[in-house]
Amino acid sequence: MTQDPVEPQQPTFDGPPLSLEEELAAARAEPEPGPSIETVNESLKDGLNRCPKCGSTDVRLRGSTGMLVCLFCRNEWQEARVEEEFGLGEGIDQLEGTVIASGAEDIAADAADQVTFKCEACGAEVVVDTAHALNARCHWCRHTLNVNQQIPNGAVPDAVLPFRLTKEEAVEKIRAFASKRRLFAHKRFKREFVPENVLGVYLPYLVIDARAETQYWGKGEVQTRRWTEKQGDKQVTYYAADVYQVQRQVAFTVDDLTVEASSERADFGTKNTNNIINTILPFDTKNAVKWNASYLVGFTSEKRDLNVEALTPVLEDQGLSIGRSQVRGSLGRFDRGVRWEQEKIEIGGSRWVSMYLPVWLYSYRQESNGLLHYIAVNARTGETMGSIPVSQPKLLLAAFTVGTFLEGIAGAILVASA
Amino acid sequence: MTIEIIQALVHVASGVVRAASDDDGGGVLWLLAIGPAGGAATYWAIYRYYRNTDKSHEFERDTIIEAQPVQGGEDRVDHISRTRDSGIKGDNGGDYRKRVQRVR
Ligand SMILES: [Zn+2]
Ligand SMILES: [Zn+2]
Repeated sequence: MTQDPVEPQQPTFDGPPLSLEEELAAARAEPEPGPSIETVNESLKDGLNRCPKCGSTDVRLRGSTGMLVCLFCRNEWQEARVEEEFGLGEGIDQLEGTVIASGAEDIAADAADQVTFKCEACGAEVVVDTAHALNARCHWCRHTLNVNQQIPNGAVPDAVLPFRLTKEEAVEKIRAFASKRRLFAHKRFKREFVPENVLGVYLPYLVIDARAETQYWGKGEVQTRRWTEKQGDKQVTYYAADVYQVQRQVAFTVDDLTVEASSERADFGTKNTNNIINTILPFDTKNAVKWNASYLVGFTSEKRDLNVEALTPVLEDQGLSIGRSQVRGSLGRFDRGVRWEQEKIEIGGSRWVSMYLPVWLYSYRQESNGLLHYIAVNARTGETMGSIPVSQPKLLLAAFTVGTFLEGIAGAILVASA
Repeated sequence: MTIEIIQALVHVASGVVRAASDDDGGGVLWLLAIGPAGGAATYWAIYRYYRNTDKSHEFERDTIIEAQPVQGGEDRVDHISRTRDSGIKGDNGGDYRKRVQRVR
């Protein structure tokens, strides 16, 4: 099987060939900026964010309903779902190029994180550090000032999915998760574990609709014969098989593929536990609403620092995986398996929306190795996943005990059969 | 947690039976390897249950995907007349995330 991989069989017809001039012009051309979706919430004035009924700015999210509630007059309301507002679920199979919603535009690296507001109520100047929060209270008149404009530093996303699970519910989930894993937990973790220390965090994601076509080339084997031969006093099984060059292709659309837009979270290396937060996906992103910073009051948030360009390879990678899972069902006749050797993806069109998604987060830093462990709860679905520091001595003792027990059985079998 | 240990033990025990029924010299060695193998399996089963290092979001399954019919073909290019391998080498048909050579 050292034979060279067969040249991929390209699709035979790909439109009329371009002339040399056309090809050169195409190569030189700047990438066309795709059409954009304007998601700025015009109804919100700079900074102040008032109850539509009484004009108070004391507005909070009521977790149980996902609605905004005015703490002054108890009026409850909700921003429009972005799904309908910007037609996000529609026309994925017609997408062309890269469509970027205004909140998903490139982060300006040089723009300062500090944004100064003039409080419209009393005239004081209030600074909001957009790297960590998108709202602040005026220390003179207690009005809440919100970053509602899509300022050029890319801090404000297009949409936000409000918290639904209450803190109490999240604490219960986290407690249940950890208590199932007490026996081998690190002693210090058990002592210091306080699930009430959970924090509500909005984490930044890019939510992608895309149209793609994938193609795969490889080898597949079909068994033609199976027999046994006697060698000395033991039976050896042999196989004969036909080898096929296999090609598959599939076109698909994907709706609301969700990828981490913070470089810290997007790194799934073995040196960290970021995979935990990824595991609590998916979210019901269809219910995300138009940006209104009042949804963030009482929660912390993390700023997006990855742009569409940086995440395009992630989209291609996940698209290739999706295509592979789609063609899997067509490989049934290759009962000895299939080995893919080459693959190709073409993204016909994609649409990117920047979104804040709600997570209840319990974190614990393991002192011995500096590893940050999380227990994360999806604040919409309640899905919970975590990483608990294990006590190596206890784990080794358990492994040794089971090993010794099995070795005892093995010894007994040997003695019995001798 | 106990479930994971039991799974690991069942896995190892089936190995014991298979090794014991294989009635040649290799069988004894296999049998003696059961202890260390079972210990290692226990270690990894518990470790995974606590740390979940192997978990991630299954976007291939948990995202709304609408696919058109799969197309393609296959050509017989070779025949293996005699091998002891029960499957193709490097089988990755079900390993969706393992990237192979990218054609551009
Ligand atoms: Zn009000
Ligand atoms: Zn003020």
